[in-house]
Amino acid sequence: MKVTYNWLKDFVEIKISPKELAEKFTMAGLEVTSLEEKGGDFVFEIEITSNRPDWLSVTGIAREAAAITNSRLKLPAVKKQKKPGAAVVPFIIKVDDRRDCPLYTAKIIRGVKVGPSPDWLRKRLELVGCRSINNIVDITNYILFTYGEPLHAFDLDKLSGNTINVRRAKNGEKITTIDGQEKALSPDILLIADQKRPVAIAGVMGGQDTEVSYATKNILLEAAVFNLIVVRRGRRILGIQSESSYRFERGVNLEAVDSAAWQAVELMQDLAGGDCALAKSAGLNKVKRKSIILSSTAVNKILGLDIALGRIEKILKSLGFNIQAKPKEAFAVKIPSHRPDVTSGIDLVEEIARIYGYENIPQTLPTVRPQVNARDTRDTVSLIKNILVGLGSNEVITYSLTDKDLLKDFGMHEGFEAVEVLNPLSKEQEVLRPSLTPGLATCVAYNLNQRQDYINIFEVAGVFSQLNNLPREELKLGIALCGIKPLLLKQGLIKEPAGLLDLKGMLEVVFTRLGINDYDFKTDGAVYVAAEKIGLMEKLPGSALEKLDIKNRDVFVAALSLDRLLVHINTGRKFSPLPVYPGISRDISLILKEDISIGDVLGMIKGAAGPLLKDAKVTDYYKGKQIPAGFRGLTISCLYRSDERTLTEAEVSPVHSEVCKLLAGNFAAQIR
Amino acid sequence: MDIETIKAQIDSEIQNINSTQNLEEFRLKYLGRKGILAQLTSQIPLLPQEERALFGQQVNALKNRILSLVSEKQKSITGGPIHRKADIYDISMPGIAQELGRLHPITQVIDEICTIFNRMGFSIVEGPDIETEFNNFTGLNIPLEHPSRDAFDTFYLKGKDKLLLRSHTSPVQIRVMKSRKPPLAIVVPGRVYRPDATDASHSFMFHQIEGFMVSENIRFSDLKGVLELVARAVFGKDIKMRFRPHFFPFTEPSAEVDISCIICKGKGCSVCGRKGWLEILGSGMIHPNVFKHVGYDPKKYTGFAFGMGIERIAMLKFGIDDIRLFFENDLRFLKQF
Repeated sequence: MKVTYNWLKDFVEIKISPKELAEKFTMAGLEVTSLEEKGGDFVFEIEITSNRPDWLSVTGIAREAAAITNSRLKLPAVKKQKKPGAAVVPFIIKVDDRRDCPLYTAKIIRGVKVGPSPDWLRKRLELVGCRSINNIVDITNYILFTYGEPLHAFDLDKLSGNTINVRRAKNGEKITTIDGQEKALSPDILLIADQKRPVAIAGVMGGQDTEVSYATKNILLEAAVFNLIVVRRGRRILGIQSESSYRFERGVNLEAVDSAAWQAVELMQDLAGGDCALAKSAGLNKVKRKSIILSSTAVNKILGLDIALGRIEKILKSLGFNIQAKPKEAFAVKIPSHRPDVTSGIDLVEEIARIYGYENIPQTLPTVRPQVNARDTRDTVSLIKNILVGLGSNEVITYSLTDKDLLKDFGMHEGFEAVEVLNPLSKEQEVLRPSLTPGLATCVAYNLNQRQDYINIFEVAGVFSQLNNLPREELKLGIALCGIKPLLLKQGLIKEPAGLLDLKGMLEVVFTRLGINDYDFKTDGAVYVAAEKIGLMEKLPGSALEKLDIKNRDVFVAALSLDRLLVHINTGRKFSPLPVYPGISRDISLILKEDISIGDVLGMIKGAAGPLLKDAKVTDYYKGKQIPAGFRGLTISCLYRSDERTLTEAEVSPVHSEVCKLLAGNFAAQIR
Repeated sequence: MDIETIKAQIDSEIQNINSTQNLEEFRLKYLGRKGILAQLTSQIPLLPQEERALFGQQVNALKNRILSLVSEKQKSITGGPIHRKADIYDISMPGIAQELGRLHPITQVIDEICTIFNRMGFSIVEGPDIETEFNNFTGLNIPLEHPSRDAFDTFYLKGKDKLLLRSHTSPVQIRVMKSRKPPLAIVVPGRVYRPDATDASHSFMFHQIEGFMVSENIRFSDLKGVLELVARAVFGKDIKMRFRPHFFPFTEPSAEVDISCIICKGKGCSVCGRKGWLEILGSGMIHPNVFKHVGYDPKKYTGFAFGMGIERIAMLKFGIDDIRLFFENDLRFLKQF
């Protein structure tokens, strides 16, 4: 909303500079977003919140200026023309449904001379961004900006049948609006029609057929109140917005409709001549005024202040509220018709706080009674994220919405019903993602394009699916690896292509830290915790990578359900006494066929060695010249220890020999 | 052999030694148990009384000389007795460690703000991205057909009875208040969605932190006190702050909160649009209608609520000028935080 300094001064005496006024407006809730000196005046651009239709007018803002600068609002007296001119015309206003149009007033002015507006009028309108059309149209706009009451002038001679009918549109009806657009209408849209056809979209825009031109002689001036929801719905369906609809859908002041129309009539007669031949209205001309009981205790309790009753009264009066004192520091506040937003005590509290000044309210600290929660999901997720960061992975945040085709590329279309968005703005917002994988892969592709050669990323976020036709959210962890992991050691650079074992290593660290020991990684990449499948590690298929333009690279992704994982967390720790007696460590070096699983070998050792074996782990593996093709070398370190005594070689040797014998027998291992 | 001859012999022999083995032989020849110096020492008692002291000193000097020569030679052969050649110690070489990854800057800002509230006694609660129309709008006193909805364009889900992607974190207020009784002090971080065309300052998905406190005696002055503490903790002790009246359907009185521009210190620059102030959050006293919707008695309870956009705060804190950078996840970007 734009308003000028001089225009405001028509209605209120302002003794401060435009800049100071702008500051005060902002601090009172009329945020001045720009202040510009223009054409000998100052133009304020003010952001008006949607609850304040009264501020969509110069007089409304002037009322505010009066309240915050301790000045008075001066509104002109309304001159109703009691006796219409010579020729009395018959005219019918027919409102089909009062709920759509609580008040319709029409005034007929005959014998106007339509022409350009005088300079002062053109200039004012142009300063607030409104193009001058002709004197009649400009006056309707001038009144709209001044009083916030939208008016519409029809060329009376183009209306057929001396009738105005406020009705819903019929299917199939059409209208060409003054902007030259033909609009198809439907029963959701409220119309102004004459006997034959639609002549305006009520509260939104007039029709081209009946607009006022230089040839117009006689005018029908409409001032009305339309249902705000109907106006809003109609302009949304038609996709048009106007200064009128903007005000109607926020609510115009019904009690000021007629006086605004009379102000317009007077101005028209001044600038274009003519006689008012008819003034007619249909509907209410008063609204029921609500009264709210307010006590200063209630005000002070909410604001944390100690404002005296007198001060409260003065503030409310300055805003146009009517006050009647009641016992016990209370009073009844009568709500004026320009304040439809005030419906309860709390609305008045806000008014008092605004004018008193938020900056004058002290700062205090409340007493908080903390509720201490045990470790929750958020803490655990945070721990997992920090572990992954420690392992060199970077957290990414990708969009929860994605496009269906991308899911297809990742093979997620069959037997799967994604949660679809009704009103996406683009293809990338069609569905809620059922998996983190496509988003992570897209990130990998992006970074490869930026010539990053090692990508190690993860995301923790929700994914969405349908269960019994209801959408379901599940918290997931996704990790993606791609490229050559560079390790700069003393010996020099070791380039290690990242792969599934890197993912496995990261997950093992996470599991161990969370106290989860019962996990298993299957050959197909499935990850199990306590015999439940919680996720999958995979090398992404070439077809998917191709779609993302990833060439000659492997991308490895792990996707785990955190909802399922977190059930198994065991953060309770138990101390085990430190070993008292030394252990004996024995290494086994062996050559195995490649297809024998190391997991099986370790499992067998642990099973065969008995209670003295405390640990068996792989400490080296190698291929190369010394090892025949199809085989691999392996070193396994076995630790034997007793909790009761120092073991002797004599005790360990037979056990260890037995282990070696079994390895040789069961796996055809060559012990070296 | 007299001392001087031996000395000359030592000096010439040491020149030709170039292996550890030869050096050891050399050492044994002179300093060994039956070596030349031992022989010299054994002669001392045979000398006249008055010569013994001088001779002893000369033998001792010779011994020291041999020891020092051996030690020097040792260094030149092996690179020193402590460090072998392979261990050349250059502290300027790159340290060896696993490179650290980074938390996303949005996560870092959320964690920072949540931690501050946590220390003040607020609990952290999260809510789902998919919400009901009631929790997102009606319960929060946002009428369905009202211009106040314009600020909350929303993604709806297909075929689902009025389910939507939450357009703010405020629905968690409704969830928490419906399931718990006051006193409450809660903060809620999370993803929110609005069908906005993407540009340098708009994203259809972004993050908010919502906070609210409900008890029997919470005042607007408490809201001011709490938010001032938090803003100073996040943006620094020297910032100025102002509360401006505003309109939000779910709070009343409502306030927008500005801090003095952290770039120009309030003088006016391009970041703050020459105003000297940066808007960082919306807040207010919880509207009595919201309490009615969740079954709280608005005569008994009062409370405040606030919400802030994390991307905006992160952009201000880190000096980032394009919101899209947060979701492109360029590693060169992520690794800066």
